[in-house]
Amino acid sequence: MDLDDLIFQGADYHYKGEFDKAIAKFQVALRIDPQNEYAHNQLGILYAKKERFDAAFREFHKVVQIDGHNTYALLWLGILYLKQGKLNLGFGKFQRIIEIDPSNADAYYFLGAIYNFRHNTAKAIEYLKKARDVDSDEPDTHYRLAQAFHNLDMTDNALLEYQRTLDLKPSHTKAISGIGWIYYNRGDRHSAIAEWKKTLKMNPKDRDAVFNLAKAYNELAWEAIKGNKPNEAISCWKKTLGVDPKNKAALYYLKKYKM
Amino acid sequence: MDRRHFLKWISKGILSASGFWLCTSRDAWGKSAFDFALEGQNLIAAERFAEARDALKEAVRLDPESDWAHGLLGRAYYGLGQKTEAVAAFREAARINPADTYSRMMIEIITQKPIPRPKKSESPLTPLEKKARAEEESMFNRLTPEGGLAYRVKRVVIDPGHGGFDSGAVGPTGLKEKDVTLDLAQRLKRRISEKGKIKCFLTRTGDYYIPLSDRTVIANQYQADLFVSIHINANENRKAHGCEIYYCSETASSKEAARVAAFENAVLKYDEPFKKRPGYIDIEEILFNFERRLYWEESGKFAGVFQNRFQQALPFKSRGVHSANFFVLRSAKMPSILLETGFISNYDEEAELKKASIRDEIAVAVARGLLYGSG
Repeated sequence: MDLDDLIFQGADYHYKGEFDKAIAKFQVALRIDPQNEYAHNQLGILYAKKERFDAAFREFHKVVQIDGHNTYALLWLGILYLKQGKLNLGFGKFQRIIEIDPSNADAYYFLGAIYNFRHNTAKAIEYLKKARDVDSDEPDTHYRLAQAFHNLDMTDNALLEYQRTLDLKPSHTKAISGIGWIYYNRGDRHSAIAEWKKTLKMNPKDRDAVFNLAKAYNELAWEAIKGNKPNEAISCWKKTLGVDPKNKAALYYLKKYKM
Repeated sequence: MDRRHFLKWISKGILSASGFWLCTSRDAWGKSAFDFALEGQNLIAAERFAEARDALKEAVRLDPESDWAHGLLGRAYYGLGQKTEAVAAFREAARINPADTYSRMMIEIITQKPIPRPKKSESPLTPLEKKARAEEESMFNRLTPEGGLAYRVKRVVIDPGHGGFDSGAVGPTGLKEKDVTLDLAQRLKRRISEKGKIKCFLTRTGDYYIPLSDRTVIANQYQADLFVSIHINANENRKAHGCEIYYCSETASSKEAARVAAFENAVLKYDEPFKKRPGYIDIEEILFNFERRLYWEESGKFAGVFQNRFQQALPFKSRGVHSANFFVLRSAKMPSILLETGFISNYDEEAELKKASIRDEIAVAVARGLLYGSG
């Protein structure tokens, strides 16, 4: 069997989810052509899918030794470094990719995400905008960019990027949560509640939506108490229990003010 | 049938000879998409890629949903060295037919290394896009992006423990934990706000009860960079005294820390872990775990800084820094620590905690630790 056939069959097995057969084909292919970067990369991915991360790392490392410009292998080395918790090494790989390929959206995405994790939002925005401008079809790029804008109180930009996230992936509940907080912090609590309710329709156990709603209803209840509107407060606490039946605050105050 | 076998089959003329038509779309001269695709296929075999490309472009114009024609067009572009166009054509083929191994493989082979990106067309701005652009222009003129990977704290949420019907621990002479924590939090907020470098928010501003879940929700609401929960310790042994600091980690630093965390985690609900899909690498899960680990590490650093400040500034013994898997700390999407500033159950420390001067010293120690820890 020639190399091309082995590679094709390996890829075919891979896409069909038959990982062991795919690995066997690529291993044979590599005996014929030990420098085949695609076969090494495929083996790397297949090992990663089988959670053999050390073996995956070795394959990607071999590719980079064969050709230091193979950005696919560099990207996966960076990701595997992050998996190991090695921030600086991962960061270095993504930066190297940008040097080789200044239009690599994935590398910009990871660099932006890392800056977001360090709460260096101005740098996060710089990189995530580049990721977005190169490839605008990734919902998580828009989501992380929205988070960075949100952290800087640039709420129009945050709203726009959360919305773009949802245009690409309507079930992105974290983006809905973010939109809700922007409305909430602007004083538009009813719009915020409406957003979080959308999430509950998708997943009644979504933790963010449950706790956000409980917090919002409890706060509305307190404002009603301060405004001497106990019935309104009672109605709010009942709503809290509707989403979070064990909410201790609502249980206690409902009992207290009903009497 | 996979593409390769199909191509071998079709190259032998079996389909055309038997009068089998994949496509009925025809142009004005009666030539169908199939005819153009077949012509393109033959031209590729003859390595006449430019002519093949033109024929195949015609094939996809007549039948835009033919994965076969798109795949062949990808091969023609690839033969011409036009990798960007080749990837676009292979992507289209794979979109139409996700089982198209050849096109998927070619995308992966070509994109292992940099290829030029296609140019994007600009569309008119929506009203929100216009507002966002104006906001960005006004904000970025005031921003100086800083490099480096040091953790940055620009806003902090202070959580006074307990409140309302939950008084927390009560001292031998009646001092309530909830009152001390609120007063400490308010003093701390004033201190931090005076410096003007960090924005500060409180989870509660009066004597009312807030569930644990609401407290971290508030930290998430304000996109906080650090969450500091203030408590006063208590023990049946009235001799127990001193300050200790907790932060979240995967494993507990001691049996006692594990016990405390297990007790708190008994209320754990809704905390569903990522659902693992076998044979699937979830990049977002990798990033989530990485982010959480970074926050825990950062929490440990802040805990160490606060501990040093406490040792230097307070008349309380240091009981050290502890870590455990606390639900309340884990739910925060930022570094988070829990301070136990003395034992209210201890006669001497209860007396100290009643003093405004000691409360100020605690607030100063935390504020300085915060400013120091945030660079």
